Amino acid sequence: MTGLARLAVFAATLLALASPAGAQSKPRSGKAASPADLYAQRFATLCAACHGANGRSDMPGTPVLAGQHSFYAITQLFLFREGRRKNEPMTAVAKPMSDADLQGFANFIGTLPAVPAPPPETPPDAARMKKGAELAQQHKCVFCHGADFAGGQQVPRIAGQREDYLQMTLRGFKSGERTGYTMAMGEAVRQVTPEELDTLAYYAARFPSGGDAAASK
Amino acid sequence: MPRTLPVMRSLLALGVLCTVGAASAPQAQEEPGWAKGRPKTDAAMKMAPVPAFPVPTPADQLPVKKFKLPPGFKAEVWASGVLDARGLRQGEKGNIFVSSLFVANKVYVIPESGKHEAKVIIDNTPLATGIEIHKGALYLATNTKIMRYDDVEANLDKLGEPKVIYEKLPGGTDHSWKYLRIRDNKLYYAVGAPCNLCDPGEWAKIFRMNLDGSDVETIASGVRNTVGFDFDPKTGNLWFTDNGRDWFSEELPNDELNVVTRPGKQHFGFPFCHQGNIPDPEFGWGKSCDDYQKPAALLGPHAGSLGLKFYTGKMFPAKYQGAMFIARHGPWNRTKKYADIQVAMPDGKGGARLETFMTGFVENNNYLGRPVDFLVMKDGSLLISDDHAGAIYRISYGGK
Repeated sequence: MTGLARLAVFAATLLALASPAGAQSKPRSGKAASPADLYAQRFATLCAACHGANGRSDMPGTPVLAGQHSFYAITQLFLFREGRRKNEPMTAVAKPMSDADLQGFANFIGTLPAVPAPPPETPPDAARMKKGAELAQQHKCVFCHGADFAGGQQVPRIAGQREDYLQMTLRGFKSGERTGYTMAMGEAVRQVTPEELDTLAYYAARFPSGGDAAASK
Repeated sequence: MPRTLPVMRSLLALGVLCTVGAASAPQAQEEPGWAKGRPKTDAAMKMAPVPAFPVPTPADQLPVKKFKLPPGFKAEVWASGVLDARGLRQGEKGNIFVSSLFVANKVYVIPESGKHEAKVIIDNTPLATGIEIHKGALYLATNTKIMRYDDVEANLDKLGEPKVIYEKLPGGTDHSWKYLRIRDNKLYYAVGAPCNLCDPGEWAKIFRMNLDGSDVETIASGVRNTVGFDFDPKTGNLWFTDNGRDWFSEELPNDELNVVTRPGKQHFGFPFCHQGNIPDPEFGWGKSCDDYQKPAALLGPHAGSLGLKFYTGKMFPAKYQGAMFIARHGPWNRTKKYADIQVAMPDGKGGARLETFMTGFVENNNYLGRPVDFLVMKDGSLLISDDHAGAIYRISYGGK
């Protein structure tokens, strides 16, 4: 799908969200579909165009949701809805969501197993990967995100995340443009140089992710 | 999905783990204040402060059926869907004002009667936590300033710009949020220690000021972090909860219940002495606990003792008259969680006897709710805010 076609799909899904059919989806309100099925459907129509049907996005700057944790997902949907995390399409998506919607989408995202990144066109630069591993230790990234970078609860999985998204996010935390649910990341990257942040993004994006072990976290 | 609080690795993220200086790191990175003194063990490194969940618990899933109260008392949901509900105060016309802390950035108003739906009257204000009502005005203290909204109940649709009465608060994130009371035309507030454990400099004190922000006076020193205080209606003495230092051990020190009997002249120990009898392993050298004011009662290890309110209603039995309710919000840096409501009865000799009043906030070591603050209603019933579940409960007494 081209970028333009995706945008069209996205616009259509926004309309769908705003329509009564799209908005009737509070859990416990109907008996037809279980809440889980309902949000699987709504994810397919609303989110999949950009984030991928299985949650692995191949769209630039768009995060992979596969293997992400529901607690993390709900904090971010909340920040988008409140306008505290700045991103126009996501704020548009999240604005009309009820609390039950936040919970429903987050729960569904939490069920998506991790999906490995497609094989890179060129093998990872061994020296840069080594540097990345050192930086991840030095700046204690592993303390929160885990030695496997799988995260947990409100800490996102970063293993196999898109490099462009990681880079943008880390730079955003450093500049203060990106707001977190807590102040953890802003303070975490305060003393990390931009070059080091880019190396960390490079490393985490190429960190092996996926498979049953990762998905079962 | 179970609404579990993070107790594992995720807890770490809340804090600032990545800034904890590694011994091998070339640059010495500074720890955040709350992490100072934390042992470098795996179990301790997985603990960090916990913010409220971003979505209130739906009304039909609130834990009211799990609450346990003394015979004759009843708990019910008074309001739900109040994200991050913290401080409770009531206006002269009956409206209930509700503040918030890290998540909602709001102050709400809820009508006394009707369906008790919360309406946002102040938004986009981080740490909009300290509130008080006095002569028709709403006082709001964030971590940086204290403001006043005049004639607030006549302007609930549009509050307008507040008058800033004081803007020299130190800000920051550690123990910087506020709790307010007004008595005899003086506004009481505290500035906590800017850390878990440190030399707090000019802070770690309870202050009072005139209502225009002038004449700031120290009322009590050596107060690490009080987020709840009230005046004994009989004696006029100020009683306050104080949250003890973190990381000493799982079981020590206790939070303190203190009483100010000589305003401005008493030092309650921080950072030198904890719970009246434990000299700090670092700051306690050369000091004696006997040189500091002892607590009136101990409130439990890492209890997160928050709101404190003397019961001034008529509905509850006589033993509660002159007693104070205390909300134990529950520990974040202790493996075993607990949270409840205590009643403290002053013994007339400077101490107080504690009795558990309400439990049921914890299940399988996870919080279902976390109590914060109180309001005694005109009919004598008691409102309790819960920032974890985003709810307000009403406790009433119907006799045996």
